Amino acid sequence: MKTRHLLFAAFFVAATVAVTAQTTTLPNVTLKTVDGRSVQTTEITNDGKPIILSFWATWCKPCNRELNAISERYDEWREITGVKLVAVSIDDAKSVHKVKPHVDGSGWDFEVYIDANQELKRAMNVVNIPHTFLLDGNGQVLWQHTGYLDGDEEQLYGKIKELIGEK
Amino acid sequence: MKNIGKTLFLALLLLPWSAAVMAQGTGGQVTGNVQFDGQFTRADSVIGATQAPERWLMNARADILYTNGGFNAGLRFESYLPPLPGFNTQYKGYGIANYFVKYANDLLDVTAGTFYEQFGNGLILRAYEDRYIGIDNALLGLSFRLRPYRGIQLKGLGGVQRNYWSYGGGLVRGVDAEVDVNSLFKSLDEKPLRLSLGAGFVSRYEEAENIAAATPGYSLLLPLNVGAGSLRADVRYKGWLLAAEYARKGQDPNAMNGYIYRKGEALLLNAAYSQKGFSTSVQAKRVDNMAFKSVRSSTGEMLYINYIPAITKQHTYAFLCMYPYATQATGEMGLQADVMYKIKKETLLGGKYGTDIHFNCSMITGLVTSPIGGAGTDGYTSQFFATGEHYYTDLSLEVAKKLSSRHKAVCTYGYVVFNPTIEGHAGPQHHNHVLVADYTWRVATGKTLRFEGEWMGSDSHYDVEVDDKRAGDWLMALAEYSFGGHYFVSLSDQYCYRDGVGNYYTAAFGYTHDATRIQLSYGKQREGILCIGGVCRAVPATNGLTLGITTSF
Repeated sequence: MKTRHLLFAAFFVAATVAVTAQTTTLPNVTLKTVDGRSVQTTEITNDGKPIILSFWATWCKPCNRELNAISERYDEWREITGVKLVAVSIDDAKSVHKVKPHVDGSGWDFEVYIDANQELKRAMNVVNIPHTFLLDGNGQVLWQHTGYLDGDEEQLYGKIKELIGEK
Repeated sequence: MKNIGKTLFLALLLLPWSAAVMAQGTGGQVTGNVQFDGQFTRADSVIGATQAPERWLMNARADILYTNGGFNAGLRFESYLPPLPGFNTQYKGYGIANYFVKYANDLLDVTAGTFYEQFGNGLILRAYEDRYIGIDNALLGLSFRLRPYRGIQLKGLGGVQRNYWSYGGGLVRGVDAEVDVNSLFKSLDEKPLRLSLGAGFVSRYEEAENIAAATPGYSLLLPLNVGAGSLRADVRYKGWLLAAEYARKGQDPNAMNGYIYRKGEALLLNAAYSQKGFSTSVQAKRVDNMAFKSVRSSTGEMLYINYIPAITKQHTYAFLCMYPYATQATGEMGLQADVMYKIKKETLLGGKYGTDIHFNCSMITGLVTSPIGGAGTDGYTSQFFATGEHYYTDLSLEVAKKLSSRHKAVCTYGYVVFNPTIEGHAGPQHHNHVLVADYTWRVATGKTLRFEGEWMGSDSHYDVEVDDKRAGDWLMALAEYSFGGHYFVSLSDQYCYRDGVGNYYTAAFGYTHDATRIQLSYGKQREGILCIGGVCRAVPATNGLTLGITTSF
């Protein structure tokens, strides 16, 4: 019991020290592409432009609503801001082989990766999906949002424009 | 001994950390998430809800991760004081449930402490967690992954498995290799035909114990080491995909199979074709005696080394989820097909925005077996291609249409044939028809109204002895209003209007700000089965107030 307390205390002390000068970057984890290739998250880049990273699953209704909403405006967003959308599926063995059919069937044009044992999900502290991150050109997390209510994509777009404007 | 281990671990955790902090001066980064779920329970004899003696039930957890370059460390605090209704009471308590240090670079990952891992589809190994159904199969030990060459990944691990607040006595050891053939050779990398191969092996060691054989006066000679292996292949050509995994398990007499010595096997096949706007996929599986646990006497939801995925569709509408399918790892066969089609914009049926159609069907049966004997024998023989007792049939058709820039409608028809055997109780099979209408109206920017109406017609009858409160015909209505980009309120009612019991109303309010979400609801919850990925737990009826808070930082 004593060890546990010590462990916990040590963690919090270190946490507070670290939090003071914090920048959160994308953790390095192996994902699969929908074509079955392995990719390291460090390979996900967008030539110094912002990236939207969105966690979803084929069975998650609000996730699909969010991705469809972004998909409808994706061409316009890309043209104006250069932003790239990366959707990370947390479908497990039960539905992982439906991810590509789902993406094609939905007519989505953005990059989709698979995090079948939810390693990136855990590393990024995602509790519920959808959970969307906005990364700047260097892969730093600038903003994150959980859940999806209709119209939330406008808030996200506002944050992207803010980020572009600052440059 | 345990304390020495923990102290050692503490040292391990802190040494590199402080070293890293001092040497690099960057401080690294700390991230985390916190989840709290509380419920105030009230009794309601009509729906069978009881008041817990503690009145307030609380589940809480916090994950804290520290990252500095390739170095990671993490801790998870959990408390169940006492656990929410439906969670196993063995969770009651609090403490550090999870702790690890990890180092990763381009060549390798090494984790010491608790970790999660999966080989292929998980047929022989999947250590995972699902906080909503209260499952945590984390392994405590050492795990590594090597990427010696482009396209090759090797994994190895050894450890003991979490069992609520302790660890099971069985040792789990495993190795796995996966080769992406196209990545190996530059000349093949851009070819349309892609091939990936994998193989894994897992072994469990557990000390002998005294288990009585079917013959009086004899006890079983138990295998101490039980092995399981799997082979898998994945072939793709343009829009086509063919994936297969076959797994076998050695003699593993255990409490799940009634201590028989029959070997286990599982086969999982996936085929799919897709192009933009159209996709179809088919899955087939056959599972025979594949419950693989790290403790042979364990029967509950914990201590599973492997994972047998359910192939039935995971529905989200309330009545389509009413009778979910629970994987029968001891034996089942199944087929599933899925079709998605997008009718193009500016066509007769597509209209201005296009129309989405999604069809899914599945059927699961038992195996055809001939019994040999009880504990200590091979148990039974089975015919590979013969389908046995009907377990489950599920069919659904969903049509989604955006009517204008502000209006969207989704209509769903579902049909479920359910055999209560899969939940372990008696009673006849029953047939259920479900209709769902889901309408979203964007009133103004940031203001959205959503209505949902559901009907279920069933030939099930309420039986006092079984006391399944899902029986009968049902109606449901839900209205949800979201506004200001942060808030939502919802009201819903599920009412059984024929041959059953219950009127379940709920009011909910939610607030979301960035990565923080707070939800408060009051109402009644029908007893039922909550399933995620074919792994299920029973949820008792509840009546009262619930509060949920999650945040990530």
